[in-house]
Amino acid sequence: MIRDYYNRHALDEKLRGAPRPAGVNHLAIAHRQAVAMVLAQAGEEDTVQRALSQTTEFILRFCASGEWLVVSENDTPEGLQRRLDALCAGRAYIVDQSEARVLFRLSGPSTRRILAKGVGLDLHPAAFATGASANALCGHVAVNLARTGDDTFELIAPRSFAESLFDDLMAMGREYDLTAAFAG
Amino acid sequence: MTAYRLMAGGLVDRSRSLSFSFDGRPLRGFAGDTLASALLANDQMLVGRSFKYHRPRGIVSAGSSEPNALVTIGSGARSDPNTKATVAELYTGLTARSQNRWPSLGFDIGAVIDRFSPFLGAGFYYKTFMWPAQLWERLYEPLIRRAAGLGRAVLERDPEIYEKSWAHCDLLVVGGGPAGLIAALTAGRAGLRVILADEDFRLGGSLLSETQPIDGAPAHVFADRAVAELQALPNVTLLPRTTVFGWYDDNVFGAVERVQKHVAEPSAKLPTERVWRIVARRALLATGAEERPLVFGGNDRPGVMMAGALSTYANRYGVAAGRSVAIFTNGTAGYRAARDLHAKGIAIAAIVDSRAAEADAAPEGVRVIRSAAVVDTRGRLRVSGLVVERSGFEELVACDAVGMSGGWSPVIHLACQRGAKPVWSEALNAFVAPDVGGGLRVAGSANGVYTLSGCLGDGAAKASAIASELGFKPAQDVLPATGEETDPSFTALWYAPGAKSKAFVDFQNDVHAKDLGLALREGFGHVEHAKRYTTSGMATDQGKLSNINAVGILAGMRGVSPADVGTTTFRPFYTPVSFGALAGTARDKHAAPVRKSPLHEWARKNGASFVEAGPWYRSAWFPRAGEKTWRESVDREVLNVRANVGICDVSTLGKIELFGPDAAEFLNRLYSNALLKLPVGRARYGLMLREDGFVYDDGTVSRLAEEHFLVTTTTALAGGVMSHMEYCSQVLWPDLKVRFCSVSDQWAQIAIAGPKARSVLQQLVEDDISNAAFPFLAVGTVTLKGGLKGRLFRISFSGELAFELAVPAGFGVAVADQIMEVGRAFDICAYGVEALNVLRLEKGLPTHAEFDGRVTPDDAGLGRMVSAQKTDFIGKHLSARYGLTAADRSQLVGLKPVDKEKDIRAGAHLLREGMKPSTLNDQGWVSSACFSPVLGHHIALAFLKSGRERYGERIVVWDKLRDQEVMAEVCNPVFVDPENARMKA
Repeated sequence: MIRDYYNRHALDEKLRGAPRPAGVNHLAIAHRQAVAMVLAQAGEEDTVQRALSQTTEFILRFCASGEWLVVSENDTPEGLQRRLDALCAGRAYIVDQSEARVLFRLSGPSTRRILAKGVGLDLHPAAFATGASANALCGHVAVNLARTGDDTFELIAPRSFAESLFDDLMAMGREYDLTAAFAG
Repeated sequence: MTAYRLMAGGLVDRSRSLSFSFDGRPLRGFAGDTLASALLANDQMLVGRSFKYHRPRGIVSAGSSEPNALVTIGSGARSDPNTKATVAELYTGLTARSQNRWPSLGFDIGAVIDRFSPFLGAGFYYKTFMWPAQLWERLYEPLIRRAAGLGRAVLERDPEIYEKSWAHCDLLVVGGGPAGLIAALTAGRAGLRVILADEDFRLGGSLLSETQPIDGAPAHVFADRAVAELQALPNVTLLPRTTVFGWYDDNVFGAVERVQKHVAEPSAKLPTERVWRIVARRALLATGAEERPLVFGGNDRPGVMMAGALSTYANRYGVAAGRSVAIFTNGTAGYRAARDLHAKGIAIAAIVDSRAAEADAAPEGVRVIRSAAVVDTRGRLRVSGLVVERSGFEELVACDAVGMSGGWSPVIHLACQRGAKPVWSEALNAFVAPDVGGGLRVAGSANGVYTLSGCLGDGAAKASAIASELGFKPAQDVLPATGEETDPSFTALWYAPGAKSKAFVDFQNDVHAKDLGLALREGFGHVEHAKRYTTSGMATDQGKLSNINAVGILAGMRGVSPADVGTTTFRPFYTPVSFGALAGTARDKHAAPVRKSPLHEWARKNGASFVEAGPWYRSAWFPRAGEKTWRESVDREVLNVRANVGICDVSTLGKIELFGPDAAEFLNRLYSNALLKLPVGRARYGLMLREDGFVYDDGTVSRLAEEHFLVTTTTALAGGVMSHMEYCSQVLWPDLKVRFCSVSDQWAQIAIAGPKARSVLQQLVEDDISNAAFPFLAVGTVTLKGGLKGRLFRISFSGELAFELAVPAGFGVAVADQIMEVGRAFDICAYGVEALNVLRLEKGLPTHAEFDGRVTPDDAGLGRMVSAQKTDFIGKHLSARYGLTAADRSQLVGLKPVDKEKDIRAGAHLLREGMKPSTLNDQGWVSSACFSPVLGHHIALAFLKSGRERYGERIVVWDKLRDQEVMAEVCNPVFVDPENARMKA
């Protein structure tokens, strides 16, 4: 008996139904992505960071000293693992987190005001420029927050909290008519 | 008719008439009115009954210090009790009701209490209603509570929505008066990120009732221009209707914005109120100063108001609070109010001045009575005259409103909320803000600078200094020109001597001067004691008007300076904040996050009944058609696992992966048992102790590769163990080369247990999982047919042949569905945590019901898990303590009821037969119990003194909660398969 198993997204239930058009302020949820945690070996933190920063094929998210989340939209989890193994050349441990994390992309002119309802970080461009990322609380849920553009942010949240965080984000965005859908 | 709307003037919009009601009476006001100004314009001076004596009370102030004009706004679930009419913005359809009166405001039965007031001094109920003691709770307290009080809270569910938001700025300006506006302009123009918050719905503060021109234009025009400029600056955020209520660590300020308290039809998209947490690099307090009431006989008569409030009502709202107003003052401000009113055509009956000879100019033709004091007032529901005394000569001055002016107190509440006490200034005759460092500074009247030009200068200078400090370059703007200033001086008058009737210090709590005397006489003269003894300064206004006079009077009574009396403690909140606002969105499903297992949908599809386990929803049991009770389902699930096979979601357990050359050593120090030599591809049970030698958590440790481990934790302590590891790694052993990361969310984990488990699983996986190839405690990567990779663990929490299969979380439901499908031929069933619990109890396996923080490994029968060989591990040294090794410690045993029909429940205590229940006679406790469908009777795990030596003994299970005693036999805690033959099959 050979079969392909269906991979279900944590928000399948929440986003079921016909996709609605994205509003000005929109929450896009990535359906598939590869995410890996890179843990640098002791003493290799700088080397690993340099190696990871050289490539533009994936995005680096700072988590803690010597720890990064790497997000790739084009790789499979296995592909990302191989690529990172090659890049880090034994200087870091790579842990697949593709199934453990849900990626929320928030865009629109009111994103900062929406996020301010849950995130205590100062998101003014002078304090949190494009490319910056940090672990933060969004309401009750621990996320990794990154600024990906003037009006775009990305939240990486634990899968088990995804529904709760989704509900919270939609409540935070109610004032600004936030819409949500899986990313196309 | 005594109060009325002036024909012209004021900042209200006379083209927009609004209808509202008070105590059912339809009334009209204008846009820009407060409820108080609209009530006064409708000649409704009487607004409430006092807290204790039910005395008629009227509007006193025109701001947030108001003690009397507390009303309930709205109706039903949308009622807001104790709302200050003086700050409530008028809107069409507003309904307000007066409080603490019955049957009506004008005729209140409770007012009879006032007749008995000689017996109702401060603390009277402690002295009066002492015996018999049992009547206190049943009779006296309910009676007192019914008679005394303010508004009533509604018990209905609050339909409003609330939220919280963070904000960050370089400078937070608290207060939008002259000092605050110019400070915000100075800082905003220099490029600082500025937030200006003001409690009023219109920014401008005192400028809105100021008669002095600025730059040749009315002061309110200057305010409007400043606001317009600030609005245009992208780096400035204006927050009107926002009260900054608290100052917290790291210069974080709490503020509440009344987003739509002032609209008849609230938008569903917006919150009613929003709590702001403002992180400010610098803050400037520009909160102004409060005019002090005077304490004289009969000063609580409706119509006796603050002189400044009379000016505000006339200048800002175009309302005369009376037709003939008397002023009682100890300084210049009273004359200024008289001039303001006089200019509006309101008659001034007289100015009563406590001072002897002052140069202050009274308006043309107004009589000034110097060196005089008011000793009493006349009138019932409204003042009709003042009894003025001068050197023993009493005179009645007829009037229908009184303005009192007792000097000024800077509003410094926020600056004193973090421990620093206000400082007494002899020069200002007032408490001023302490130096609290650079983070929070004070400007304008709040800083004791009372002139308009002074406020503008101080605000600009402070903002300029802050801007420079933060690296900005403020422009040296020319200050706006102001007119002729009035000298703001006054001579302190804490108590007008010779009072002929009660001279109230605290209107809201009905505390009069004699109460303070009583407190002092009875040994409660310390300002904090006097507050508690008399209730002066308590309740919703927290003594904004009264505290300073209470301090002054106590100082006078004790013959010391107010500096020696000091103030009571300032704490958040500056003004009351609704619970709804403080809760924000954190209610209902937003109150706490829900965690869902990747197998949640699988469990739901299979009809699971869920149970909350911390943030998780875990499947508890899977009822089938015809099963009437949870026990029927659980018994079936247990028996099916023992006879056939079952699957259970165990994804919620914590999973942490560790890497590094020192990972094994790290774990060896973390757990009490030996792990250094754990072979690759094998799992081992691991026990973690706390430093004090008691069990912390347990789980499995698997070695996936030489330098790669995976440990599991209990569901409850997944986060705790992770933090513990971080602490150990960062603080205790930073030299160990180890990295770790939680993978709890990455995997869906399914337990497959029962004699047919292997047969089912073999249908799904490519790999050989025979006992020879994959023995008990084996661990490895497996490939599912179709290519999906998973991790397989041969571990058992049921005593049966069992596996745990982990697959990437998204595939969990599909794999579980597939197991159910291929398992159908083997009579597979889904089982929940209830059956899981029964299975482990039958097998005598302890969980956190047993590891309750008082249990050592040896107590739980796990003494062999404490390695004697290891040089060190967490908990080793304190495990050897006397007491933790005592022979009579309670040890884990099994219990079986002698009468097989009887049940045992967790929490019961154990007693020797015939012994009375007492701490001394206590023999132990039941930690877990259940019905064992395998044995056909109840079983329990218990901790019994020296229990392992007492198998076979009979013991009484004493259950006080159910008032039941059951005789039980002590036995080995492993009820099923003590040889582990099934597990290893």
